[in-house]
Amino acid sequence: MSSAAMPPEGEILYEASGLTKEYDDGRVPALRGIDLLIRSGEFVTIVGPSGCGKTTLLNMLGLLDCPTAGTLRFRGTDLGALSDPASYRAREIGFIFQSFHLLPNFTVEENVQIPMFGLPGSAAEKRGRAAKLLASVGLAHRLDHLPVKLSGGERQRAAIARSLANRPAILLADEPTGNLDSTNSAHVMDLLLRLREEHQATLVMVTHDHELARHASRIVRIKDGEIISDEAAA
Amino acid sequence: MNFLQVIFRGLWRRPVRTGLTVLGIAIGIAAVVALVGMSAGYEKSVANQLDAVGIDVVVSNLQGGIMPKAFAESVRDEIASLPGVAEANATLMQMLSVEEAPMMVVYGREWDSFTWDQLRVIDGRLPRDAAENAVVLGKLAAEVLGKKTGDRIQIETGDFDVVGIVDGQSVLENGAINMALPRFQEVSGYEGRVNFINIRVPDNADQSRVEALCREIEARHPGLRAVRAGEVVGTSQGFRMARAMSWSTSLLALIVGILGVMNTMLMSVFERKHEIGILLALGWRRARIMALILCESAAMGFLGGVVGVALGALTLAVLERTPYVRGFLEPDLGWVLAAQAVLIAVAVGIVSGLYPAWRSSRLSPSIALQG
Repeated sequence: MSSAAMPPEGEILYEASGLTKEYDDGRVPALRGIDLLIRSGEFVTIVGPSGCGKTTLLNMLGLLDCPTAGTLRFRGTDLGALSDPASYRAREIGFIFQSFHLLPNFTVEENVQIPMFGLPGSAAEKRGRAAKLLASVGLAHRLDHLPVKLSGGERQRAAIARSLANRPAILLADEPTGNLDSTNSAHVMDLLLRLREEHQATLVMVTHDHELARHASRIVRIKDGEIISDEAAA
Repeated sequence: MNFLQVIFRGLWRRPVRTGLTVLGIAIGIAAVVALVGMSAGYEKSVANQLDAVGIDVVVSNLQGGIMPKAFAESVRDEIASLPGVAEANATLMQMLSVEEAPMMVVYGREWDSFTWDQLRVIDGRLPRDAAENAVVLGKLAAEVLGKKTGDRIQIETGDFDVVGIVDGQSVLENGAINMALPRFQEVSGYEGRVNFINIRVPDNADQSRVEALCREIEARHPGLRAVRAGEVVGTSQGFRMARAMSWSTSLLALIVGILGVMNTMLMSVFERKHEIGILLALGWRRARIMALILCESAAMGFLGGVVGVALGALTLAVLERTPYVRGFLEPDLGWVLAAQAVLIAVAVGIVSGLYPAWRSSRLSPSIALQG
């Protein structure tokens, strides 16, 4: 396990050990024995060529997928032994996807409220928080619009607002600017960095864009399902 | 935003398909309401008729189905002589096609018996005696047949004078043709035979004595059943058969409804795999996703039930005016049947949603997100 870029003061959030994922009865290895430590407050980018296992690793951190072998601990708890992974996602994780993944039949404001289901707070409080989050990403005027009426950049800003709705400890972003032009890409990245600071969230971002990776405090490079380097960003 | 809004947003995403599925359930429920309402209406008509005539015990051979088999008229005299019988008279009742009317109830009533008493003459008069070649029509029967006092009417092999129009105080009575028993026996080929004996007991007779009388009649006349008026509908094999047929036909309609909803919900789960993946990624529990699918299908059931009850009520209202039904029974759609129908529809929705809900709960979030 490499620890070259770890801020020594941060609490250990993730501790992956020998994390392996195989598909098709072992014929297709996606991750091969990943060891990784992520501390609270870090901004980690995972970079590598297409098909190297970046998204698979991110999915495992978000418990969207299960490892074939190895262990993954979150704040010391073995995530593989969790009886209620949904609760972990609802309380701790905020997802940002390349394709935005907004629900098309819900307004922008409603989309932001979706992760708040089952969380404490009145309907009015949740509506207020959604509106506030959307205002913070510059979409106060788009609350009642359906996602289809939004531009790509606006959709991703709405998705970023949604990812913060449940006050997550960790933001997991999978190629968040992958579907955006360079101008929108820069805006979204600036927004993401600002909100990460404001909400004091740990950010783990998958990207194949080395320019974007430079924003991170730490860059983890993956190739063929293995970590080939883990170092502080220049 | 609350869970209910999420449910209806899910249904609204494919309004035509949701509408057609709701219509499918509604047709099934309308069939339940119409068939069961007709069957219940017929039972109610008979109960009302017995009540209006003031009959305490009915003796008949109900093994033949809806229309009892005829038996010897002489049984009436034997029963009349039993202790505990205040009055007994015989009736021959048949359902016949009369002129243009496809089905009419025709009564041959024993002359001077109490069964004539509840017929209130609203036009003309009653027959003068048992020998007069005359009939009186219930007011609905007159309307259906298009007859008035003074007209002639052909029943089986006989031609009769319509001498009066009467209000029989129940739909079955109002929809019937009435004549003296001997003339009806003659024209219908049932000479010396009847299919009902109507008994009145003394006013002070308690239920146990009436019950004892029924058992004594049955012991003396094997093959006949003596039933207290209030129990005629519940114990009749014919009514039970009609009820069973209406429910079993309804069941077929409901099975079609279940398959329709299941197909819709399966399609919905298949199409919304991506959406379900998003919800799972955003922290929704599998149980909540299952509840969402089940609630959506239950909501379709509920809507189908409400629309179905309205359609069923409309069907009954139309049927009530058709020549086949008019004056023959009064369809009965009470709150109980309406509530039962809606509950059945909701149950149909839930049952139909179980498998799609289970399927949705098996989705892997990462695979579902790929769509």
